[in-house]
Amino acid sequence: MNTEEILTIAEQVVSAWDWTSESVRTRPNQLDVKVTSLAELHPAVVGLRVKRLGFLSAIVGLDLGPEANEMEVLYYFCPGDAAIVLRVRVPRQGATLPSLSDVIPSAEVFERELSEMFGIQITGLRNPQRLYLPDDWPDDTYPLRKDFDPSVLLAAAPAAENTPSERN
Amino acid sequence: MPDTAASKRFTVPIGPQHPALKEPGHFEFTVDGEIVTNAYVRLGYAHRGIEKAAESRNWVQNLYLLERVCGICSHIHGFAYSLAVERLANIEAPPRAQAIRVIVAELERIHSHLLWMGVSAHEAGFDTLFMYSWRDRETIMDVLEGLTGNRVNYSANVLGGVKFDVTPTQADIIRKGLTFLEERTKHYLDVIMHDTMFLQRTRGIGVMTRSQAEVMGALGPTARASNVQRDLRVEAPYAAYKDFPVQMVLDTRGDLEARFEVRINELFESYRLINQILDNLPEGELNVRVPRRIPAGEMIVRLEAPRGEVFYFIKSNGTDKLERLKVRTPTICNMTSVVRLSVGHQLADVPMILAGIDPCFSCNDRTVQIRQADGGAQPNGLSSLMSWEELRQYAIRKYEAR
Repeated sequence: MNTEEILTIAEQVVSAWDWTSESVRTRPNQLDVKVTSLAELHPAVVGLRVKRLGFLSAIVGLDLGPEANEMEVLYYFCPGDAAIVLRVRVPRQGATLPSLSDVIPSAEVFERELSEMFGIQITGLRNPQRLYLPDDWPDDTYPLRKDFDPSVLLAAAPAAENTPSERN
Repeated sequence: MPDTAASKRFTVPIGPQHPALKEPGHFEFTVDGEIVTNAYVRLGYAHRGIEKAAESRNWVQNLYLLERVCGICSHIHGFAYSLAVERLANIEAPPRAQAIRVIVAELERIHSHLLWMGVSAHEAGFDTLFMYSWRDRETIMDVLEGLTGNRVNYSANVLGGVKFDVTPTQADIIRKGLTFLEERTKHYLDVIMHDTMFLQRTRGIGVMTRSQAEVMGALGPTARASNVQRDLRVEAPYAAYKDFPVQMVLDTRGDLEARFEVRINELFESYRLINQILDNLPEGELNVRVPRRIPAGEMIVRLEAPRGEVFYFIKSNGTDKLERLKVRTPTICNMTSVVRLSVGHQLADVPMILAGIDPCFSCNDRTVQIRQADGGAQPNGLSSLMSWEELRQYAIRKYEAR
């Protein structure tokens, strides 16, 4: 399959039935799909997987800032030279996304990272525990959000941890 | 003991101290006798928050930060970042710079594969191969030091090109080193294909079928050993790979032996490619000027690192700093395959399966905070944090006191 064929198939997948998702070619080798309804995310991924375009290269989280009060999640599917991006907008508070790990096993690690770094809850993970952040990381603190303030880490650190008596 | 399901399960924790590559990662294997029945992974012991740190630095500073994502494949991170910034700014590095970038990338692949071969031979208990391959790897380290001035973190890239030229004298030194290594590599290929003891540790172990590799999103040599045609140098050639095509090395068996053979055969391909580029090095400038402010936009760059595809996402907001950077390194994708492939194997095979993907933990965990030696002067009992300037002054004092 060349890049043109890949993108044509991907366009057919995401424009199926009566979906509201819109797709635009932003570059010769890139198809941007705005997933407007969360219910369409999972079927779209299944569709890509069935058409053998299900190589999930990365999931990118973007915090659009407290003013916009929204976050964007980009699912980059990259078969060959092409890139198919599924863009999902979620609110900054109480966002929930379905896990894709039942269709694409490698999505699990990306989703666990997304969840702990941006505070987006992922439903349906085999192991929803933290992947990267330490066990004593304060709750409801998401480091890749724009308004993250590192000083909360100092406040949250247990006082006894680094005292000389403890160390010796 | 009550005969419950929980009492029958036995969990073996491995790590965080060096499960394979003297790097931190924690695995929990549930075993039934010697057979692994379930596996969990916990990462982040080397997580340094580089993605967040990059948001507070300017475009040039980030180049140096990102080169330190990984000590083994540092060039590919600088390469990917420069390429992404150049594409955002809509400029292209001169052909000579593109060729030199590829030379360094291939030298890096050689050093990385030789390093890996040593480590996994060590995991298999074959320390002679480990010693020999690391001795020969020094050839490449010397070549890289002669070329760039550094053994690791070569800092070959600048935004818009490269920092140094390859002179005819240096080209001869590289060719000489490669000729020596080619002979040695033939010997290693012979050893890993015919040494009976070694084959007992590799043949038929950790078999990943093609469809498993595709579903689990395996990358790089790990995927190619399972006959998945995934090599960005061939699929989506970038920089000088457009003019100097690479032959993809594939294997159908998908076990550890195949992963050894694919990596060693890739070495021959790298030797051939470097020699070809050195013979046909394009003339011209080494770099072009890049503006301080990069136009707003999003850009992804995917390059073939020694371990597989490295993915860079950069969002620019039109200022001298970036809005968001995402780095996805190959190990994190291949880690899924370790966790799933271990199930059903003997516990003793797990280190080899883990080493088989060539894991790089500092890649997949990605600012170090340094505290003053004031013994907990802060109200919460912690020592106070050093500022950037204090750290700089400390470094100068330390250097002068040598």
